[in-house]
Amino acid sequence: MPNPTPKLFVTERLERRRVIKRRFVFFTTIFLLTSLAGWFMADLLWNSGTHPGRMSPIEWVVLVLFVVLFAHVATGFVHALFGFYVLNRGGDFCRIQRALPPEDPHAPLAPTAVVMPVCNEDSSRVFEGLRVIYRSLEETGKLGNFDFFILSDTSDPNKWIQEELAWVELCKQVGGFGRIFYRKRRQGINKKSGNVADFLRRWGSRYRYFAVLDADSIMTGRSLVRMVQLMERNPTVGILQSVPRLIRGETLFARLQQFANRLYSSVFLAGLNYWQQGEGNFWGHNAVIRTAQFMEHCSLPDLPGTEPFGGRILSHDFVEAALMVRAGYSVWLAYDLDGSFEEGPPSVIDSAKRDRRWCQGNLQHSWLLFARGLRGASRVHLLMGIMGYVASPLWLFFLLLSTIHVLDQDLSGTEHSVGEIIFERWGFYFELPQTLALFGLTLVMLFVPKVLGVLVQWREEGRRPVYGGRLRMVLSAVIETLLSSLLAPINMMFHAKFVVFTLLGQGVGWVTQRRDAEGNDWREAILTHWGQTAFGLIWGISTYIRLPSFFWWLSPVLAGLVLSIPLSIFLGSSKIGGLTRRWGLFLFPEESAPPYELRRLEKNLDECYRHMRPIEELRDDYGLLQAVLDPYINALHVSLQRQRRPAAATRAYFLGLRERLLKDGPKRLSAREKRALLLDPESMTWLHRELWRRPQTELAEWWQLGVRQYNVLTAQPVTALYR
Amino acid sequence: MSGFQPRTGTLDQWNAAYMRVEDYLRAHRIHNRLHQSRVIERVLECAAHRHEANPGLDPVMLAAEEMDRLMQTWFASQLGEGALSAERRAAQARVAMLLSDLPTRWPYTFLDQENTPSEARVAMEKSALQAGPDLAVSNMVPREIDLGTLPEAAGDTLERLERWPIIRLLLLWAVFAAVMAALFFKTR
Repeated sequence: MPNPTPKLFVTERLERRRVIKRRFVFFTTIFLLTSLAGWFMADLLWNSGTHPGRMSPIEWVVLVLFVVLFAHVATGFVHALFGFYVLNRGGDFCRIQRALPPEDPHAPLAPTAVVMPVCNEDSSRVFEGLRVIYRSLEETGKLGNFDFFILSDTSDPNKWIQEELAWVELCKQVGGFGRIFYRKRRQGINKKSGNVADFLRRWGSRYRYFAVLDADSIMTGRSLVRMVQLMERNPTVGILQSVPRLIRGETLFARLQQFANRLYSSVFLAGLNYWQQGEGNFWGHNAVIRTAQFMEHCSLPDLPGTEPFGGRILSHDFVEAALMVRAGYSVWLAYDLDGSFEEGPPSVIDSAKRDRRWCQGNLQHSWLLFARGLRGASRVHLLMGIMGYVASPLWLFFLLLSTIHVLDQDLSGTEHSVGEIIFERWGFYFELPQTLALFGLTLVMLFVPKVLGVLVQWREEGRRPVYGGRLRMVLSAVIETLLSSLLAPINMMFHAKFVVFTLLGQGVGWVTQRRDAEGNDWREAILTHWGQTAFGLIWGISTYIRLPSFFWWLSPVLAGLVLSIPLSIFLGSSKIGGLTRRWGLFLFPEESAPPYELRRLEKNLDECYRHMRPIEELRDDYGLLQAVLDPYINALHVSLQRQRRPAAATRAYFLGLRERLLKDGPKRLSAREKRALLLDPESMTWLHRELWRRPQTELAEWWQLGVRQYNVLTAQPVTALYR
Repeated sequence: MSGFQPRTGTLDQWNAAYMRVEDYLRAHRIHNRLHQSRVIERVLECAAHRHEANPGLDPVMLAAEEMDRLMQTWFASQLGEGALSAERRAAQARVAMLLSDLPTRWPYTFLDQENTPSEARVAMEKSALQAGPDLAVSNMVPREIDLGTLPEAAGDTLERLERWPIIRLLLLWAVFAAVMAALFFKTR
């Protein structure tokens, strides 16, 4: 007897009552856990301290902080718990993927633009990634429904020219003219959201959907087709977000992130989908969006005041999702859809740099927490985003306050840690300090989600090992847990600093990287982490001198801080990352059995990076050299610029710049001046003609060298693309 | 090149002119030595004639100008005169050459008006650059967000504070002083 057709989920028919029930159960669990821990803590503070039987103001502050922080930790735990429950039942019926049969080649599609905003990225990675997506879509036979747009805000002249050249080369190689487009903005107003908005204003109305990708995103053709089919099937879905898996990490840090992201995320995401349902979030990329509705409802206003808190909304994605939901369209998370990838930062410091940007953006969302008309779920998403960063200074404050409190007790000669639970087992009486019970509960909240992630994968790993087999998977999870415990206080210090600096309206300075052959930079690590090390040492030594027993409670936090410099170097090492891979540690499915799109990307990028680099003297301004000297690249570049007739004063300014460029060489011009010349087609045509017309004596040595060296060793100019 | 005997200018000057034309052809991906030599000879002959009439001019400059003239004529013959300026036409023709891979597929064609195969011409004519589809301009008006009473009031205060940076500084000092005072009393 043939299998009956599985019952399909229809998002429009999702009962509000069912969603409310789920949310009630979910948030009540968080509330109960927090209440339990809060009770323990209050009892502990009540019975201890300088005034047993009542609580001092400092103890009240400690209690409030503890409750807020525990609720935050418990939220993660409950996500994992409910996700585990859902996955164990064979998956949630109320998930967007159930809206279509697993394979439905005849499901309708609609015109879709795949847009990739880029800004000073590695052109090889951007265009090879695009090639992989293009080819993958071609192989589905559905390419005709998709157009591709590289939306460039690149300001680095070298990368700008590389992009133009790589675009043409890619189009030639895949036959993509008329399907792959390149647009460079003259001014990068409003960064990424402005870039996408500019695309929408120009071409948005041509497409029913657009898929936003990041410069390092990869999506397989199957996943893109499937997402558009799902959108077509569910006309009230405004945004469909996929879950990008982290890939291509080589350093130990990146491999740890990839492994953790892949192994643990399944339970968290299933839990997230359990309560959010059609009021999900948008993560800014690897998502398909209903164009007309996005244009109508999700254009963002400025916030009151100026940056850092006001002005342009930096983390636009969360707000766009909230506005889409407010407009009556749903936002779903396709958490079980394969074929969506992105890259993560390679080191602790790179990760912190990214967090610095996100922190400011998320803190801005505090404005919107009480905005009228937003749905409750959207407010929870905004709050969770804010807490992702605000929790760090609160943790730090909590730990410092606890230290002061304990030292205070010590100075006043009060006995501390009086709360005890006595229980009997097998005829023996055990005394358990109440602090230990509380500590244990917190550890459960922190580490059980990881255990659940491993358990979900356990059975599958026995059949088809993609994490290196059960033993290696568990070993990797244990090491990952230890290393992430050491990393937690470092991130706490970084985030606390970011929050404070953002509130004070200050920028954070970063050290320029000077990596050695193995990718290590001790100077950068020392200058970035010395404050954390010093803070950890002072905190640790003073606590150890005054109260050694409390020192051991603090030791996991202190260890991370004191070891931050070597840890940063150790985690950022590609060599150690490679070693762990050879030992079969931190393996994950996309690494042990990569889809062919990722294999193809690796192969092509290997070829790209093997290209001969320009000679040292010309390297810094090679893009400008090509745009002026190479007749084809000059013509291509000029053709891509808007033709205009500048005013007389502007023409005089350009004339002076052009003369300086030819006579003195590009080193004497600022980056801004070079960009100005590159934006002026008249100047570029003039420069090309004059460079080839003038005798050597009238040209800077740099240009003479460029003319003689260009294309001497290769028949074709070096491009960012694999051939 | 044995027939090239300039009557004016030094050999060094003509050597420099030769190198400049050779470099320029190489920049156009014309790597075929025979074709290179033919073109260079033609260009230098024309430049040498002009130099005889005006020996004060630099042979490099004259050769570059002759090269440019030769190219303009060839571009016009391939893509038609049209209404474009010479510079725009040159840019368009070079892009067409790049897209059609002309230097690789028809290595002897460049600047050879008589012997340009029709396929090469067709390939160039068809090769047009399209950086974006036709515009379909539409509006995207920012949606109002009613922030609620409390944030609106906070926003107004913030905007007022931004106009008076001195107040902001004083507030910062006040917070710092309050923390110091709290620590002082706590440690008594």
